[in-house]
Order: sequence, then structure tokens, then C-alpha cells
Amino acid sequence: MLAGATVIFLATSLALAGAFIPSVRPLLTPKRLILWGGLVVPSLGLAALVAGAFALGERLLPRQGAETLRIEVVARQFAWEFRYPGTPVATRDVLHIPVGRDIDFAVTSEDVIHSFWIPRLGGKIDAIPGHENIVRLRADAPGTYGGICAEYCGEGHAPMRFTVIAHAPEDYEAALTSEAAR
Amino acid sequence: MIDATSRRTVLLLSLAAGFGLWAVAFVVLYAMLSVGCAFGWDRGSLVLGLSLQRLQLLLLLGIFLALHVALVVGLKARQSRADAATDRFLRSAARLAAIAALAASVFTYFGAVVLTTCNP
Repeated sequence: MLAGATVIFLATSLALAGAFIPSVRPLLTPKRLILWGGLVVPSLGLAALVAGAFALGERLLPRQGAETLRIEVVARQFAWEFRYPGTPVATRDVLHIPVGRDIDFAVTSEDVIHSFWIPRLGGKIDAIPGHENIVRLRADAPGTYGGICAEYCGEGHAPMRFTVIAHAPEDYEAALTSEAAR
Repeated sequence: MIDATSRRTVLLLSLAAGFGLWAVAFVVLYAMLSVGCAFGWDRGSLVLGLSLQRLQLLLLLGIFLALHVALVVGLKARQSRADAATDRFLRSAARLAAIAALAASVFTYFGAVVLTTCNP
């Protein structure tokens, strides 16, 4: 995104600089500026973004796979609870995930509509009472990521945040065991 | 015979016809996509390995693209009978808008042909 924005910024700056160069100025006719600046370049940019979004959207679909991990997410005013099927572990406002593995988050709510979002990992999804939505996410690097509620849900909405800790695969089980011991 | 005011009203409305059609296609395709997912039309194959969901989306998309083309052709056919300069400008603008709307429909809705339609 940063690289793309830099390229667009530099290209626009070059085009603008051309207006001050006498030999280039005659080439910058209104018709050309409208055709290239208003149609061709934006269309190419949009086409690239749409193709990228389509490809990413297909990757985020929760298809069945042996490698996929499932974590249940329950939102309520104003906290997040994470359950790890196959274990007795449930964490509040802290989410443990392994790195390099697709994870299907089964998201629901106990009261009003919330929205589960970890901006650095990808798309958000609504948490709806009585309904389970699934979003597939993946962390490629270990570390700590921020998560937020992305749908206004009441006066405690703004501080309704959670922390995502992405562990190396060999550390993930240990982190869950440590949580279970609490 | 329709008078000049009525003719210009029709011409003004025809400016919005292309993207109006695009908007109707958006609502219909989105609604039928959701109906198909709710009824499980994406499971199994009906004809040529295509699911009922894919077939109905292709059919709807085909109908809307045909309507877009008909609109572009219709606006061209009327162009020759234009008399005043204002009428000619309106017809030309309406036709260009209809062509842009056709391109927008192809660009926006081709996902209905290739993308997964429902959550697996």
C-alpha cells in the first residue's frame, strides 16, 4: 500500500512538474490530462485493487482444511472472550494464536452487534447475537497485535479492545497450558 | 407528436438511464445472491458442472448486460433525428453515460462469474 501510494505520488508530482518545463507543457493538453489522469490511470489502479481484493477475499473464505485451527469468539458489552476448542481454556481480552497457520474465528455475540477486527491481520466481521460468522485470518510473524470492536455497541465501545499474541508454533501449546493453569 | 419540453424531459431522464440500470442490477444480483445462499443453491451441480446459484447469477447478469447494450444501441438510433444543438448534446451525453454504465457493469459484476458465492 505504501509502495503504491509512493508511486502514485511521484507520478502525479512528475506530471505537475512538467507544467513548469516549457518543452513538456505543450504535451499536457486538457484532453490528455482528463483521459490519462481521469480515466486510464484511475482505471488501472482500481482494476489492480479489485483483482487483489477478489484474490484476498477467496483466501479468507473458511474452507475445510486439515491445517485449519478454530477459535470461538464471544463478544459482550464490553469484553471479548476467546475459547479454544479441544481445551478447557478461555481467555478474556487476550487472544493467543500460532504463527503461520490459517485460523477460522467463529464469531458471535451475547447481547448487541459488535464487530471483530484485528486491523493488521485483515478483514473484520460482525458479531451478531444468535448467529455465528466465520472469518479466516493468519499471522505471518510472531508478536503482539491490537484488536478492536469495529461496530458501535454502547458507551463502553471505544475501550473494548483486545490483545492478540501470535506465538511461534512450538510456543503456542505452552501459552495455552499456562492460561489453563491460571 | 411530443412537444419539445416533453422530449427534453425524456432526454434528461435518459442521462441517468445507464447508471440507473447499473443500480437496479446491483440490487437484484445482491438480493438473489443472498437468496441463493440461504436456500443452498450453491451446493451440487445442475448443468455443465454449474450450480443453480451460478446459473441464476449468469442468467441475471446476461439479461442486464443485454439491456445495457440495448440502451446504448437505442440511444444511437435516436441520435440521427436530433434537431437542436441542446438535444444533440443531451443525446450524446446520455449515450456516453450508457456506454460507461455498460463498462461499469462488466467490471463490477464479473465477480459473479468467477468468485465463490457463499461461505463454504
